[in-house]
Amino acid sequence: MTRDEIQRQLIDIIRKEKDIPDEKLSLETPLADAGIDSLDALTILFAIEEQFHISIPDDKARAMRTLGDMVDVVQQLVPAVE
Amino acid sequence: MTPSRVAITGLGIISPFGRGREAACDALRNARSGVRRIENIDTSELNCRIGGEVPAEAHRGSFKGFDRFSRFALIAAEEAAEQANVRGSVDPSRFGVIIGTGLGGCETLDAGFRRVYKDGQSRVPPTTIPWSMYNAAASAVSAHFGAKGPAYTPVSACASSAHAIGQAFQSIRSGQADVILAGGADAPLTFGIILAWESMRVLAIDNEHPEAACRPFSADRKGLVLAEGAAVLVLESWEHAGKRGQAILGEIVGFGITSDAGHLTDPSADGAARAIRMALGDLRPTDIGYINAHGTATRANDATETAAIKSVFEEHAYRVPVSSTKSMHGHAMGASGAIEIVSSLVALNDGFVPPTINLRTSDPACDLDYVPNAPRDAGVPLFLSNSFGFGGMNGVVAVRTIHGL
Repeated sequence: MTRDEIQRQLIDIIRKEKDIPDEKLSLETPLADAGIDSLDALTILFAIEEQFHISIPDDKARAMRTLGDMVDVVQQLVPAVE
Repeated sequence: MTPSRVAITGLGIISPFGRGREAACDALRNARSGVRRIENIDTSELNCRIGGEVPAEAHRGSFKGFDRFSRFALIAAEEAAEQANVRGSVDPSRFGVIIGTGLGGCETLDAGFRRVYKDGQSRVPPTTIPWSMYNAAASAVSAHFGAKGPAYTPVSACASSAHAIGQAFQSIRSGQADVILAGGADAPLTFGIILAWESMRVLAIDNEHPEAACRPFSADRKGLVLAEGAAVLVLESWEHAGKRGQAILGEIVGFGITSDAGHLTDPSADGAARAIRMALGDLRPTDIGYINAHGTATRANDATETAAIKSVFEEHAYRVPVSSTKSMHGHAMGASGAIEIVSSLVALNDGFVPPTINLRTSDPACDLDYVPNAPRDAGVPLFLSNSFGFGGMNGVVAVRTIHGL
């Protein structure tokens, strides 16, 4: 799966949880600055795990600060498609 | 210091009658039931397919991101707060929230556990704890209005919101707060909870005639009808309401709270009677012009409650109108005390006593004036609202209407 494809899917997941304008969803913007609180973040992580069939370890989850961080983690964890 | 009088300056309700005071008043005046076929969940595997469900159009789209019971609490609180004009007119540290519930976030727990036990998934959503906890509704209301004073959730089954309103009354009397949003919320119409009530064999299951299922005090009563909703009162110290020139709709004048110290589910006339006496305080039975009964329509409650009223009111028991509005809105568990106090006050302030519907032939053990089937015009100055919960926990609130002020 390409980074662009992962990013697109992550934005869809986040948007389902929270109505956030485009300019706030850049790869570098801290999620907290986009209005995503700790409980929103947990819900978003849960949805990501379901959608990509992955399990994000707690330490990786805690280290995610931005959408870019999320894309990195998902990319590492999504099994390479043969 | 003389204890402050406690004014009612706002009323909010969302119930099987729909959203708002006017919907409730209209149903009560027209003796119209809000009990219906349950539509919000799949009932095909349940025996009981009816309930006092809040119509979808009454709450659709309001307050995303909470359990159903908290959304109901927010809707009711908003209506009450708007009527009382509390926004910006209360010191946040003197502004409290006491919202009772019997069962908390049932929808959230039911959906979470269904994933695991039925759908074979291994995890539940991370919102499961914060949405289902019993104090979630009080917390949501507190945050929504910036109320930073006393805030908590009494949990005492069907007496929860009577206790919430009583505790708020005590808090304001004692000077702990100037204004409190007090009431209750419950949303127990989930698959698991309905199934659990079916097992107790106390549900009136008349799937073909939902509006006729709940028959308090009737010889042929079959049991209670589960319901959902929320109601919230703005309670305010008399001085505070006066200072800001806010219209006063009523007054809480007494609160009785007792325990049967007896059986988990069998009610006791003694426990109920002691709560009624405590709520009356210095008032005489003849001062009371109406009693909103707990009136669940179970075999046990209605006869026991009638005996309790007779033991306190003696001869006057036969002259005071007693009705069960549960005949129309069903039994909203921990929210029922608040729903009944708001319903009673809305009706009485509008000049009528709400009826007990579906009452053709009274049980011989139930021989009071239950205002059968049709409302009655009257200017009642003072009423009592009874709530008697499983676990033997009782709450009775004495309320002065606009006609008694």
